[in-house]
Amino acid sequence: MRFQSLEFTWSGMLSGLRGRSIQVTFVLGVVLIAFAYLAASFSPRQPQTIALDIGFSVLRFTLVLLALFWVQDLFTREIDRKIILHSLALPASRAAFFVGRYLSVVALASISVVILGLCLLLAVLMASPGYEQEFSVDLGIPFWLALVGIVLDVAVIAAVASAVAMISTVPVLPLAIGAAFAIGGKALGASANYLARGADGDTALVDRMGHWVDLVSVLIPDLSRLDWRQWSVYGAAPSAEQLLWASAMAISYAAIALILGVRALQKREFS
Amino acid sequence: MALLIAVAVFVMSVLFGPREVVHERSRELAVRIPLVFQILTAAGDRYLAANLAGFRILVSEAYRMGPAELALQAQLQKDVSWLNPAHEDNYYIAAAILSVPEVIPAAQYILRRAADARPKDWQPLFYYGFNRYFYEKDPVAGALALLEAVPRMRDEGESWTMQNLAARWIERGYSAADAARIVGGMAENANPGRFKRYLNYRAQRLRDLAILKDAAARFRESQGRPPNSLDELVATRLIERIPDDPFRRGYTLDPQGEPIFAQRR
Repeated sequence: MRFQSLEFTWSGMLSGLRGRSIQVTFVLGVVLIAFAYLAASFSPRQPQTIALDIGFSVLRFTLVLLALFWVQDLFTREIDRKIILHSLALPASRAAFFVGRYLSVVALASISVVILGLCLLLAVLMASPGYEQEFSVDLGIPFWLALVGIVLDVAVIAAVASAVAMISTVPVLPLAIGAAFAIGGKALGASANYLARGADGDTALVDRMGHWVDLVSVLIPDLSRLDWRQWSVYGAAPSAEQLLWASAMAISYAAIALILGVRALQKREFS
Repeated sequence: MALLIAVAVFVMSVLFGPREVVHERSRELAVRIPLVFQILTAAGDRYLAANLAGFRILVSEAYRMGPAELALQAQLQKDVSWLNPAHEDNYYIAAAILSVPEVIPAAQYILRRAADARPKDWQPLFYYGFNRYFYEKDPVAGALALLEAVPRMRDEGESWTMQNLAARWIERGYSAADAARIVGGMAENANPGRFKRYLNYRAQRLRDLAILKDAAARFRESQGRPPNSLDELVATRLIERIPDDPFRRGYTLDPQGEPIFAQRR
């Protein structure tokens, strides 16, 4: 199963790199990193901090988009065009196919995050060269740790989108549910916190949204716990416990989604 | 023919259609979206939501703000602070612009949160203390905030200056000249541009107010009564002329004959 998975991972990566959506989204990523550079010029006090902060936001957004396109390419399109029948005809288990393809999405996301991360480094170093801000950003280990958080974030979202692709008969559903899951998961922590504190006295908002947020909190993970930029951008290091539990949350949730995805694929009949 | 008519109607609608009238001043601050929706429109990213709200604040025209715009700006800056309390531009702008009594509580909220979220940064505590001293007229509380900032300072000389200032505040209380020096210091540390210019204007009018206060004190000493108008200070040659206010609001006397900034029109 392990070697079979790796073969599917490799073929998935090659297929992902050949797709046009990758090139388009990469260009989008580079353009958005340029926005990060331009955003720095708005800041009177902390241009590099703003460039890095915006850059991390852009990376998180772009990487999720990329991952969802790859899931679309490697699962949904194969099912839609019946190409999956060739893959499943190979002497390999369906679980190996599913996990292998999922790992190819995570591997592609990891490669992308390194490339886009280097672009971001460049943008930050170029931001406002004539001005030395008092509190400089940390582009060493904290920077790369923030990127690891982004990969974990993408891994969870890709797992959910892949699992949805296994039960979906509508091609666009994994993309739509994956995007809604990503936005909901990222917004969850801040929104729950805001409503729990009374929403600045807006009781109507608490009544309207409170139940929904409670319901969503049970079903989806708080992805904002994987946003570790504070250390690199503002010098506030997260505790080891915080990192450990957030990683455990991400890995366990991705595992749940993958197990459900494998089960769905094993029960699915392709005609 | 139908296409031509459609194009003509469209062009006319663009040129002549009535528009929604937005308040003339600071129209970029006309709307404040609830916080939850700010987060959702930033794809769930609270840092991005903070930066987007921060850009709206940065492009607003602080010069032309009326009380309503200033109140909205204060609320927006509180939103940014809630989304990302460590945002440096936000607390710095709050310290610089939210400086009238009605919005001082908002500035203090932002500065206190920034002080807690930025454990190595002494400046939020400095401005927090300055507001306690200058606007809330509580020099001792201001001095205590300065002393809380001292352990965060890396430069020993600056640290001694801060402790000295805290001591002077406790001893002397209110002084426009001190305020002018503090705002001038903020201007020196700002990136060159419109915001730096704005701070320099503020420092200038505080310096001019200090000159007027000094002249009024000398007038009281020599005449045995407070001046009835600023023109009396010119007539008695204590000052050459009433200084020009860079914000064009001018200076006036309070009922006790003490020079103050004129109210916003």
